[in-house]
Amino acid sequence: MLQDISKRRQELVEATFRGLAMAWTDFEGQLEQVPVIRKLNRGQLQIEDYRALLKNLRQQVVDGGCWIARAASHVDAEHFEIRSHFMKHAVTEHRDFQMLEANFIACGGTLEEIRSASKNMGSEALSAFMFHKASQPNPFGLLGAMFMIEGLGSRKAVEWGAAIKEQLGLEDHQVSFMLYHGEHDDDHLEELETHLAMTVHDEDDVQEVVRTARIVGRLYALQLEELNHV
Amino acid sequence: MRDVYINAAGAHLPGEAVGNDRMAAILGEIDDQSQRLGRLILRQNRIEQRYYAMNYRGEALDTNAGMAAKAARAAVDTSELDLSDIDYLATGTTQGDLLVPGHASAVHGALGTGPLEIASFQSVCASSMMAAKSAWMALKCGEAEAALVTGSEMSSRWFRPGFYRPALDRLGNRDTRMAAEFLRWTLSDGGGALVMQPRPRRRGPSFRVDWIKLVSLADRFDVCMHAGIAHEDRHEPVRCWSHNEAGPQGAAADGAIMLMQDMMLLKRIIRGWVGEYLALIDRGAIVPGDVDHVLCHYSAHSLREEIIKLMTAAGAMIDEEKWFTNLYTKGNTGSAAFFIMLEEFMARGGYRPGEKILCVVPESGRAVISFMMLTVEEA
Repeated sequence: MLQDISKRRQELVEATFRGLAMAWTDFEGQLEQVPVIRKLNRGQLQIEDYRALLKNLRQQVVDGGCWIARAASHVDAEHFEIRSHFMKHAVTEHRDFQMLEANFIACGGTLEEIRSASKNMGSEALSAFMFHKASQPNPFGLLGAMFMIEGLGSRKAVEWGAAIKEQLGLEDHQVSFMLYHGEHDDDHLEELETHLAMTVHDEDDVQEVVRTARIVGRLYALQLEELNHV
Repeated sequence: MRDVYINAAGAHLPGEAVGNDRMAAILGEIDDQSQRLGRLILRQNRIEQRYYAMNYRGEALDTNAGMAAKAARAAVDTSELDLSDIDYLATGTTQGDLLVPGHASAVHGALGTGPLEIASFQSVCASSMMAAKSAWMALKCGEAEAALVTGSEMSSRWFRPGFYRPALDRLGNRDTRMAAEFLRWTLSDGGGALVMQPRPRRRGPSFRVDWIKLVSLADRFDVCMHAGIAHEDRHEPVRCWSHNEAGPQGAAADGAIMLMQDMMLLKRIIRGWVGEYLALIDRGAIVPGDVDHVLCHYSAHSLREEIIKLMTAAGAMIDEEKWFTNLYTKGNTGSAAFFIMLEEFMARGGYRPGEKILCVVPESGRAVISFMMLTVEEA
C-alpha cells in the first residue's frame, strides 16, 4: 500500500517535470520571437538595446526578492521546509538588482535614469501576477514560477550574457548580472524534485505548478516584448 | 482506412568505406584550419567511416537520383513484389541533381519502371519522413497499392574545395568557419528506400506503421542549416543566390553556394525538439516504458548526448540499450540515413512480434522534428 502511494507520488512528480519541461521549451520558442532577442540571436544587437534591456528588467528584478519573501510568509508550519527554501531564495535574489544597476552605469547609463524608470506593461503584469500568487495560502504553484526564473538565470542569461559581451565587445563587469547567474546552476533540479514530492498530491496540484510556470513564461516574454512601453 | 506496413528496406552506399584519414584525399583540402577543425569535428561526431560517390580525382561516380534508384531496387529485391507492381513513388532529398525538375522524376527515370504516381519532397533529413508519410496516407486511403519511398543524398559535391575557394575570405570568422566545416566533416553520400504496402508480408517480418507525426518549428526558429544564401545574409532571404545580379558566379563569390550550419542555434532547436517529444508523451502517443527499440537519427554523437541529457532531465528517457544506430559505420547520409538505419535493423533481426519501434528524424534546416511508431508483425 505504502509502495503504491509512493509510486503514485513518483508518477505525479514525473508528470510535473514533464509539464515544466514543456512549459520551458514553449517559453524558449516564444523568446526566439521577441524582437530584442531575435536581434541578439541574429548578431544585430546595439548598445542601446542592451541598456534598454537592463532598464526594463530592473524594476521586476527588484520585486523578485519581495514576492518570494511574501510567498514564504504564506507557507504554513506543516511545510516549513518549503518556507525555508523560499526564504533562502529571497535572500539570494534580493541584491541582484544592484549588480544590474552597476552594469547599466558601466554601459553609459545613469543611476538616476534606471531607478526612475517605470515598469513596462509586461513587467506590471508579471509582478502583479507574482504578488497575487504569493498572497495565497501555501502558494506551491510558485515552484513552477521559480523553475522558470531559475532556468532563465542558469540557461538563458548566461547564453545572452556571452552573446552580448561578444557582439558589443564588452568586459565582464559590464555583463556580470547575466553571466553571474550561470554560475548558480547547482543541483536545483534535485531540490525541486524534493519539494514537488512534498507538495504534489494529485493531478490538480500538478496542473497548478505547470500552469503557473506557463503563465510566468508568457508574462516574462511579454515583458521583453514591451521594451520601453511604460 | 487500411493498415499500412513497411515490408522491405534497401540501402545503397557508393564505393568503398572511407576512414577518417582518407576523407581529405577524396574531398580535397581547403587549408590547414580546415584540417584542424576536421579533427575536432570528427572527435565530436565520432563517425568512423562513410561512403562517397566520388573518386580520388574528385570525379562523380553516380548521381543523387542514381543512388536513390539503386536503393529502391535493393528494397524491391527483398520484398515480395516486382518493380512493375509499384504504383507510387515518393522521394526525399536535400538537393536533387538538377534545380529543375523535381527529384522524383529523376528517380523514376533512373528506375525505368512503368507509369506511376510521384511525389518529390525537398527538405533536409526529415524529407525522408515527409515522403514516408505521403506513401503511408496514399496506401491507407486506397490511392495506391504498392509504394516505394526513397531518401538519398550526394552531399560530397558541396564539399569540394571549389565550392569554398570563391568566398574563402567570408570564412574568416571562427563561427562562420565552423558553420561550414561541421557539415563538411559530418555528411556523406548514400541512398535508402522502403517498400510499403497495405498488407503485411506473406513470409517474414513486417513493420506496421501505427502513426507518423511531423512538426515544423519555423514559426519561432530562424534558419539553421542552409545553402543558397551567404551565412551573414541568412536572415534576409531577399539576398538569396538567385537574386544576385552577377549571376551564379557572383553568388558563389558572395559565399551563397556553401552548405552551412548555425551551431549555436542548433543547441536551442534541440530543446524545442525534445519539447515536441514530451508533448507526444503527454498526449499518450508515446509511452516510454512500452518502447522496445529506438531508431533516432542524429548528425553527431555529441548531439545524441545532448538529447539524452534533456530526455533524462525531463524523466522521459528510454534506456540507451534500446537505441540502435549505424551512424558511426555508414555515416550521416541526411535524408537517406533513417532508411539506411532501418534497413540494417530489419536485416539484422533482434526484434519480436508485437514490439514497438520508435523512429525519430529531426531536421536542423529550420527546426523540423518527425516521429514514426512501428509495430513488429510476423507472418
